[in-house]
Amino acid sequence: MKVELAIIRGGEKRLVPFEYAPREEGERPMALDVLLQAQATDIPDLSFRYGCRNRTCGLCTVDINGRPRVGCRARVREGDQLSAPSTLPVVRDMVSRRDGIARQLRGRVPSTLRGNDLDVEAPEDYHALTACIECYACLDNCPMHARNFDQGIERRDENKAYTSGNPFSLLKLQRIRLDPVATREDANKALNAAIELGIDACYDCPGCKCGVGIDLKRKVVKPLVDASKALLSED
Amino acid sequence: MDKETVVLSYDVIVVGSGGAGSAAAHAASRDGARVLVVTKDPIGCSDSKIAEGIVTVRGVAEESDSHEVLSDNLRLAGGDLPVPEITEAFAEDSEEAYDWLRRQGVRPRIDSKNGGPVVLPIALGGHSHRRSVSHDNGGLAVGHAAWNAVVQGDGVDYIEDSWFLDIVTEDGPEGPVVAGGLIYDAGEGCLIAVQAPAVVIAAGGLSTLYFPNTDTMRGNTGDSYAVAARAGAELVDMEQVQFLPFCLTSPPSYEGLLAGEPVTAGYLGVIRGADGKIILDSVMLRTRAECAAAMVRAVEAGNGTESGGCYLDLTANVKGERSAKYYVKFVHTAVSGVMVTVRQALGRAASEFKEIWEVRPGAHYCMGGVRVDAEGSAKALTNRHPVRGLFAAGQAMGGVFGGNRLGSTSLSEGPIFGARAGHKAAELRVKKMPEEKKSLSSEFEIALRSYLEVFGQEGDRSGSGMIRELQKAAWNGIGPSRSRVGLERFLRQVADFRKQASSIAVSKESIWNQAFIDYVEFLNMLDTAEAVAVSALNRPNSLGAHIRMDGGNTSVLFTKPYSVGVFHAKSGGLQTCKLNRPSTPWSTLLAHAYHGLKRRLELKILWVLPLALQDRIVEKKFRDVMGSLETEKPEAERKVSNGEELEAA
Ligand SMILES: Cc1cc2nc3c(=O)[nH]c(=O)nc-3n(C[C@H](O)[C@H](O)[C@H](O)COP(=O)(O)OP(=O)(O)OC[C@H]3O[C@@H](n4cnc5c(N)ncnc54)[C@H](O)[C@@H]3O)c2cc1C
Ligand code: SF4
Ligand code: SF4
Ligand code: FES
Repeated sequence: MKVELAIIRGGEKRLVPFEYAPREEGERPMALDVLLQAQATDIPDLSFRYGCRNRTCGLCTVDINGRPRVGCRARVREGDQLSAPSTLPVVRDMVSRRDGIARQLRGRVPSTLRGNDLDVEAPEDYHALTACIECYACLDNCPMHARNFDQGIERRDENKAYTSGNPFSLLKLQRIRLDPVATREDANKALNAAIELGIDACYDCPGCKCGVGIDLKRKVVKPLVDASKALLSED
Repeated sequence: MDKETVVLSYDVIVVGSGGAGSAAAHAASRDGARVLVVTKDPIGCSDSKIAEGIVTVRGVAEESDSHEVLSDNLRLAGGDLPVPEITEAFAEDSEEAYDWLRRQGVRPRIDSKNGGPVVLPIALGGHSHRRSVSHDNGGLAVGHAAWNAVVQGDGVDYIEDSWFLDIVTEDGPEGPVVAGGLIYDAGEGCLIAVQAPAVVIAAGGLSTLYFPNTDTMRGNTGDSYAVAARAGAELVDMEQVQFLPFCLTSPPSYEGLLAGEPVTAGYLGVIRGADGKIILDSVMLRTRAECAAAMVRAVEAGNGTESGGCYLDLTANVKGERSAKYYVKFVHTAVSGVMVTVRQALGRAASEFKEIWEVRPGAHYCMGGVRVDAEGSAKALTNRHPVRGLFAAGQAMGGVFGGNRLGSTSLSEGPIFGARAGHKAAELRVKKMPEEKKSLSSEFEIALRSYLEVFGQEGDRSGSGMIRELQKAAWNGIGPSRSRVGLERFLRQVADFRKQASSIAVSKESIWNQAFIDYVEFLNMLDTAEAVAVSALNRPNSLGAHIRMDGGNTSVLFTKPYSVGVFHAKSGGLQTCKLNRPSTPWSTLLAHAYHGLKRRLELKILWVLPLALQDRIVEKKFRDVMGSLETEKPEAERKVSNGEELEAA
């Protein structure tokens, strides 16, 4: 099976053809299988991220034909093109630089939760949001995240954090708002953070899509949008 | 490497951001230390995140579950190799550690009857009590907690995509003293020299040595052990590598992934050889080591499948109409993530337990590790000096589990010993930081130079290729089945590999130099593999996870227990030593043996009863611990997608 790998080094991009040799009859390999085989054969110093091979660590996200997919569970077809996630700056080959995302939550999440008895049941949506594997597939086509690269200039603050948000960061903030052990103050802080990160971008956005099927529109964006509108109309 | 080395100073460096590293960082920062967390994978992306998420919490379900009982369980399972002061610390702190996880956002289901966390209905193999708490979304719950403790921003700085290379020590009057460490920041493309009086190693295990026969994260390249040993620390129990019995053999993309625990074999699960005959019954009551040993022996005796596995036969559990639904529900609560994997890999019928599963042992965890005391401080033989300022926690440390780790204990081990090490490390902080950075000592300069020289190294070999060769050799030489001849052959291979390391080509790229990363990880894997092999040679008989095909079994009743220690000798090469351990008293051993025999007998009797009767008895057993399923309300929208739908999309 023939595929193309986007090899990016020192800012230069080459499209390298690769012939995948199936390991058993009729094998439909995952993107990660292709990368592992390319590393074992043609391109020993190929850079790509992976960890668990089991759709849990969130590291192996690559673009297949320009769309982000969780590489260890995304099957590849004849002629597909694999490249680094294009929603973040590419470092080398299939590796993009991700650290500016999490950093924007520094100082915005509580360092210790102290608001309640620990033996308290969390709402169902809290568990639904915990299913996030931090694969960043949801950054694709997010207008809020795109603000970080407006006019081709990368916008990061002195902590190297992106200044505008994204569905993942909103998920983390909404999770705090749902946590029965968080204080009122923690929850308010989370809502304010969502506003600072640019929740207004969501007001007329058709909505985001999660790489593992979490209902972001209903469980993350809507409650934050509603709460932020209510808060802003109070002022 | 064209970028200048960055110089930083901190009170504590924590290597790793899984359960152990995040707890260490949080604890040290609470004590006022300035902490730098360095991690090669992004924050929280670790074994702790990809785990099944089952956590040991002493006393959570049963009054009689005392500290002594839990500590005894650990030591008994570990063949008396665990260090009593360490297992006692584990038993004392497990509730506190769990509360810490909860204060970072881990939320169990709450039992409406007793008001505490819901506990798995059956004790995991080797646990005398029910004390394992499972979580929706498995380890992801713990992963979010670890992430939170590091990212939150209060007293903890971090860098990710950064490989911790080595600890730098200086010679003091009482042996080596930690001066800091060296880091390769691949994202920025520079080396970083960090001056710090304390380093906590929480960089996980070594299972990538056995790829693809492993279910762990790629990053488990033995860095913890290699780095600590190079700094002068002693390692213990390194021959004790845990192979989980039930890992998948196919399809290729799923090779090595976890397919269940002994306890999820239920009351009627058995292991069969390739000839279809039962090679181990009462699987549910066995430890991981017992199951893996039975399988390895069957394969060696020619009764294995083509891919070197055996069959896990769970079909009897779903033959009885009444008991089947209890069994299915039990497995899905205990290991929901595993069931998604099995369904995808083996298909619907297998995932409904109607077909047998082909399974093979896979590397999961290293019981051995850095020799430390119960606070995580490095320890040494009386004629040697410990490295002052060196700490280890989590899978990186030794002495907790010895010959066998019981299920659900590692997600507690991380926060328990992470917090202990973090607090102790914070005590070494300098009260007032010098205004200006000290210039780097000669020890730092020498260490730096040795790494800078690698950039631009010429040769005809690749690091990733060498890693693959080492992995193959390791599975055969120091894998689940061992012999003197095989171990000696492996050590000769190690010596060859070491010679070839200088022919690994490394470019001069500064940013994300993949060949440099592969080179560094290859050497760590090599150092670790050698420590495993040398230790394994020093244990001629089988014990725990260490199976010697050419030796007998070690009787816990009649032999004096000892651990194998290993360290770099001054003269070069590895030196080993024997560390005596106290025996568990006869009375405890006999009581345990009697209890085990009784439970096994009960299962054996079940097996020969007519189906209808068997069905009723098993149903009753499940009902007694799970409550009746008849009255339970349907679970609305409880399971969040684990990816299956998306595959279809
Ligand atoms: C599939 C699976 C299921 C499991 N299920 C359970 C379970 O249900 N219950 C249970 O108790 N245990 C379980 N375990 C075991 C448990 O998850 C691990 O043993 C435990 O999480 C180890 O924690 P740790 O903090 O020591 O290491 P890890 O969580 O593995 O963290 C290691 C960290 O070190 C970093 N690192 C490594 N090398 C370097 C370096 N050179 N420089 C910088 N950073 C480095 C990594 O990036 C990572 O952040 C499971 C394991 C697996 C693989
Ligand atoms: S919300 Fe979904 S897509 Fe976004 S990071 Fe989490 S799991 Fe990935
Ligand atoms: S709804 Fe908001 S978070 Fe989602 S894609 Fe649109 S702007 Fe981004
Ligand atoms: S490798 Fe972990 S999610 Fe793909």
